[in-house]
Amino acid sequence: MTLLSLQSLHAGYGAVRALHGVSFDVAEGAMVALLGVNGAGKSTTLKVISGMVRPTSGTIRFEGKALEGRTPNQMVRMGVAHVPEGRKVFKDLAVFENLRMGAYTRKDSAGVKQDLAMVLDLFPRLRERAKQLGGNLSGGEQQMLAIGRGLMARPKLLLLDEPSLGMAPNLVADIFSALRRINQELRMTMLIVEQNAHVALKNTTYGYVLQVGKVALSGASEQLRRNKEVVESYLGGQG
Amino acid sequence: MAGNEEGVRPTGTGRSEAAIARLKRSFAAQNFVLVVLFFLLLFMMPFAPGFKGWMAGQAALVIIYIMAAQGVSILTGYTGLVSVGHGGFLAIGAYTAALLTKYFAIDLALGVLAGGAMAGFVGMVMGLIFLRLAGPFMAIGTLGFAFFVGAVVNNVPLFEGRDGISLAPNRIFGMQIDDVGFYYVCLGFFALVTLFVFSLVRSGVGRALKALRDSEKAAQSSGVNRLFYRTLAFTISATITGAAGALNGLIAHYVSAEVYSDIWYSVDILVAAVVGGSAMLMGPIVGGAFVALLPFFLETLADFSFILKGVVLIAVLMFAPAGICEVIARPFRAYRRRRLERAAQGERGPERPAPPVAMVRKEANP
Repeated sequence: MTLLSLQSLHAGYGAVRALHGVSFDVAEGAMVALLGVNGAGKSTTLKVISGMVRPTSGTIRFEGKALEGRTPNQMVRMGVAHVPEGRKVFKDLAVFENLRMGAYTRKDSAGVKQDLAMVLDLFPRLRERAKQLGGNLSGGEQQMLAIGRGLMARPKLLLLDEPSLGMAPNLVADIFSALRRINQELRMTMLIVEQNAHVALKNTTYGYVLQVGKVALSGASEQLRRNKEVVESYLGGQG
Repeated sequence: MAGNEEGVRPTGTGRSEAAIARLKRSFAAQNFVLVVLFFLLLFMMPFAPGFKGWMAGQAALVIIYIMAAQGVSILTGYTGLVSVGHGGFLAIGAYTAALLTKYFAIDLALGVLAGGAMAGFVGMVMGLIFLRLAGPFMAIGTLGFAFFVGAVVNNVPLFEGRDGISLAPNRIFGMQIDDVGFYYVCLGFFALVTLFVFSLVRSGVGRALKALRDSEKAAQSSGVNRLFYRTLAFTISATITGAAGALNGLIAHYVSAEVYSDIWYSVDILVAAVVGGSAMLMGPIVGGAFVALLPFFLETLADFSFILKGVVLIAVLMFAPAGICEVIARPFRAYRRRRLERAAQGERGPERPAPPVAMVRKEANP
């Protein structure tokens, strides 16, 4: 079943057009990668879905409902959580307070408590530092915290913008294995923007490649990894 | 995961968490008691020997300044937005109360509430406009608003321009009051506003505002409604400053464009909020008192006070950007943090290393 469906989405910032008719579907329970070079429109696509940027034309359907022009807080309530790029954490709040903030829209306090324990199990590093301030964590830990905060909203769809940016390779592997576990155990659908195409295609089921604001290629992640064009442009030549 | 290089620390057990929560509650109670004592002191002031009628009037003016600064501090302290035009809301409050008193002879308390409500309404509309502007552009927008209000009261006949509106002596609940009575009215509203700010900051609204201030993107992606909470903050802020404006107009029984079209009110109350420290309850109280009392201390050099205010503002921004109160509170906060840390370590008692053997021996054989 299709959870999210984008139809010829156009968007931009002032005079600059970032998306020139992006169309793709995300199936429920899938783990989908969104690839492309800098400026291809990956982050903008996520921002349009989560309501941070308004599309100029095109449609977004989520669970069959039209979504264009909703505000970010409405989107969180509808079940779409966005983990923005660049470790946006609350620097003056403790780690566990940051995580509670993710559950801001939830009313089920028992479920929130359970999910807090789950996130701390998933990222033991955060458990060790539960009482430290978000601003005192290392870059990688802040990224884990931002992802954990996204999970705390218990979204149906989790949007992740560059989860591996500036992280040590062993941490990248840890994060992706945690994401895979969440995807499988909670059937949480994920749309992941990644620069690191290699890691992204290894850990997802399906992938879309954006080029100058349009979907240029798509296919099962396994196939994309063997696609000649993808190998040459994104996986560093000989693959 | 490579987590061993910095020593794994277990998180607290239920026992230490309860101790920490208890400690935090007692700190909040201590703060509250201090605030109550402060107000008790202000309440007793007119009974002090040597206290004269006109002093009550001056003290009331200081309180009015403080209230106006409390309004500003909600914006600057808890949402991080800077308004250079709150004098406009002060004027709206003053004129609303003055006109209602002149034409409908309403009660003083009602006048203050109406002044606050009118300023709050205008603040809400302005908020919806200004919150679309970012950083310095918003500051310039609010400055323009203050000038706009000044132009209106100068030129629209209803407001009687520079001739001003003169009012009959104040009556509250049917009683005519003197300077001391007005002082108590101001003190009452001041206490209400302080209690309101105290509980607002600790409420869900306060947390949402602070989340937006600290990281707008992170707060939004957690589901905090940015436009709603910022507009709410602007409305509350304008309401409080407007109520202060109503008191400011009524205490003098006179409201004129000569006073309220002046931009210096806006600057003064912003300086008061920033110098004191706008993210703290005591901040605008200390800052407001400083700005209001400075001309008195300078006496014949009162005109010099603008220069001194500027110097103090620059010094505060350089050496204590979070305000004077933050510097004063630092040692107390450090002490409380130490106590919290000790409470957190309390339950790890048995894990403490045993004293070295040599020491034990020494004690055993004195």
